[in-house]
Amino acid sequence: MFKQFTENISGNQVYLISSLGIFLIFFIVVTVLLIRLRKSHVDYMSDLPLEDSTTNSSKSFES
Amino acid sequence: MQPEKFYYDNKIVRNFGIATVVWGIIGMTVGLIIAIQLYHPAMNMGNQYTSFGRVRPLHTNAVIFAFVGNAIFMGVYYSLQRLLKARMFSDLLSNIHFWGWQLIIVSAVITLPLGLTTSHEYAELEWPIDIAITIIWVIFGINMFGTIFKRRERHLYVAIWFYIATFVTIAVLHIVNSIELPVTFWKSYMVFAGVQDALVQWWYGHNAVAFFLTTPYLGMMYYFLPKMANRPIYSYKLSILHFWALIFLYIWAGPHHLLYSTLPGWAQSLGVAFSIMLIAPSWGGMINGLLTLRGAWDKVRDDVVLKFMVVGLTAYGMATFEGPMLSLKQINAIAHFSDWIIAHVHTGALGWNGFLTFAILYWLIPRIYKTELFSKKLASFHFWIGTLGILFYVVPMYWAGFTQSLMLKEFTAEGMLKYPNFLETTLRIIPMHVVRSIGGSMYLLGVIVMAYNLTRTALQGKLVANEAAQAMPLEPVHTIARDSTWHRMLERKPIQFMMLALLVILVGSFVELMPTLTISSNIPTIASVKPYTPLELQGRDLYIREGCSNCHSQTVRPFRSETERYGEYSKAGEFVYDHPFLWGSKRTGPDLARIGGKYGNSWHYNHMMDPRLMSPGSIMPNYDWLLTQTLDTTTTVAKINAMRTLGVPYAPGYEKIANKDLDKQAQGIADNLAKDHIKVKNNKEVIAIIAYLQRLGTDIKANKTANNN
Repeated sequence: MFKQFTENISGNQVYLISSLGIFLIFFIVVTVLLIRLRKSHVDYMSDLPLEDSTTNSSKSFES
Repeated sequence: MQPEKFYYDNKIVRNFGIATVVWGIIGMTVGLIIAIQLYHPAMNMGNQYTSFGRVRPLHTNAVIFAFVGNAIFMGVYYSLQRLLKARMFSDLLSNIHFWGWQLIIVSAVITLPLGLTTSHEYAELEWPIDIAITIIWVIFGINMFGTIFKRRERHLYVAIWFYIATFVTIAVLHIVNSIELPVTFWKSYMVFAGVQDALVQWWYGHNAVAFFLTTPYLGMMYYFLPKMANRPIYSYKLSILHFWALIFLYIWAGPHHLLYSTLPGWAQSLGVAFSIMLIAPSWGGMINGLLTLRGAWDKVRDDVVLKFMVVGLTAYGMATFEGPMLSLKQINAIAHFSDWIIAHVHTGALGWNGFLTFAILYWLIPRIYKTELFSKKLASFHFWIGTLGILFYVVPMYWAGFTQSLMLKEFTAEGMLKYPNFLETTLRIIPMHVVRSIGGSMYLLGVIVMAYNLTRTALQGKLVANEAAQAMPLEPVHTIARDSTWHRMLERKPIQFMMLALLVILVGSFVELMPTLTISSNIPTIASVKPYTPLELQGRDLYIREGCSNCHSQTVRPFRSETERYGEYSKAGEFVYDHPFLWGSKRTGPDLARIGGKYGNSWHYNHMMDPRLMSPGSIMPNYDWLLTQTLDTTTTVAKINAMRTLGVPYAPGYEKIANKDLDKQAQGIADNLAKDHIKVKNNKEVIAIIAYLQRLGTDIKANKTANNN
């Protein structure tokens, strides 16, 4: 099934190999960042949308 | 420290909400009209301004940039203020953004039916409007970053990262894909030609889907879904991985729109590989959304807003699984150019974008009007008719796509094409197109019911234009402890964040675009391919004006079923003077890459007048105005000069005699038509378009004749 892909790349491996390299480095970096995140921070961030800073609505003014 | 009091701007959210609904109804109505045109040509209404080729871009632009665009701004302006605990940076900029965007849409509604188009899909608007889009987009960016700078919450929630990535990537895509040379005020030529232009266009086209239809909606999902379900997102860590992986991978996948074309093989392979990898972040996002509802599925039973979200997310999951599958060459060979693709994009557009928009509208409008939704029953009706509408839309389109593609590829035992006449396959799928338009009508009916429901909701409440809120101001940076992790630090620094996101999307863009744009060996030239004559060039611009490429491709793929039907497969060197490329992405009618010389001039003349004279049952609209309208030759000089600037080798001074050549060639065609008892003046538009069609794909044959001699 993948024969046609491998046939196409002769002479152009440099593009594909470098893309694979960039991809792997990128994912290793993101994974390391994720592993180093603290749980308290993760909890804090996930609660952000649920915080409601709106005060008593009667103070709002209408136009 | 005292908490600060401030007010959220709800009025701008409301305005974008109204625009979303109004443009949604208009865009979908246009979609329904063009769907009916495909089985009932009379719906083209007999005039050029409402013919399929001109109106189809109006539909796509209206639903993408008007319906979805306004919905994005509605969602962003609502969530950004609340996540940052700050009012939008400037009310003036908000209003300029709103009215500027509506003005751009109105200009599209006027110019597209007039035939003023660049022919680049989803980027059809001509250069003055491109500049206006750039200005308004920058205003949106200033307003967003201004708000971020005066925020009262130090850390940027994941939704905002998606908004930042949307802003910066759309800016890059729009600018690069709009590099065009103005010829007149409403006409320009793309700077890149042929294969290069195709690569740039589909790098844009694919990533417009990614960064206009996906990333802002994911951002909205990460804000509104926790709000609606009243629980935090399932996994914040997954959302970080989702974000970086998605923006990194998406940008590489564009070439899967050009499989089996003349694009260099390595670029096609790269596009396929990254498309497959895209399943991971896409499904990561969908799973993160659906699992947020874990333990709350009982709410989904009662809450129509959550129902819309669940179907929307499921549609997203289906479309993002299907996309990578479609990029596999074997599947692409069948699906590409067929109705399958129409089904695929509508799963995404109707299911993901549409349903998320409806959920947010149903959730948001009662809140900013401080009231309850007018009718839950009507909302529930909308949900069911919408869901059924999607099914009635996509199932027949899959069926039609398979049927037509397999018919086109079928050979008899003797090795001949079983259906040599393309039209036979078109007629076979008409029942499916009828059902599709019924599905579309159901979906549209749901939206109209929603508009009524939301209007009644607004009338029974009163808009809280400025919603009071309070929050502690930010402490000065030096008083907070140094962050232990890099990503946590990044979440506090918006500009660095934007630069990093920009870098991430530029990596893929650079690797993918640069070799093809700069290394000439990637595009082998063919000696016998010559620039278009002035008459052919004018005819080509008529082809662009009428939007012929919306239904006819100009690229023969290297399959026996296509070389038997159309002729020799297309070569990269054949398109080096094509500013812009006109390969198209859909074969509602047959490919035209080798149409030159296939029929006589009189056949084309009669076919333009009424396609059914030559092909009984044809669904192509009449182009009878080409027979009566006079060709505008005042632009010839400017066009030749512009093409020369772009590198087309017209001899110096040729522009001065170009119109003389044009008249001569036109007279030749008129004389030829006269032999078939067709009396037509040599200055009519139909002559130019015949000249262009007769030229298509013939250069390579000239090469062969020369070699044989």
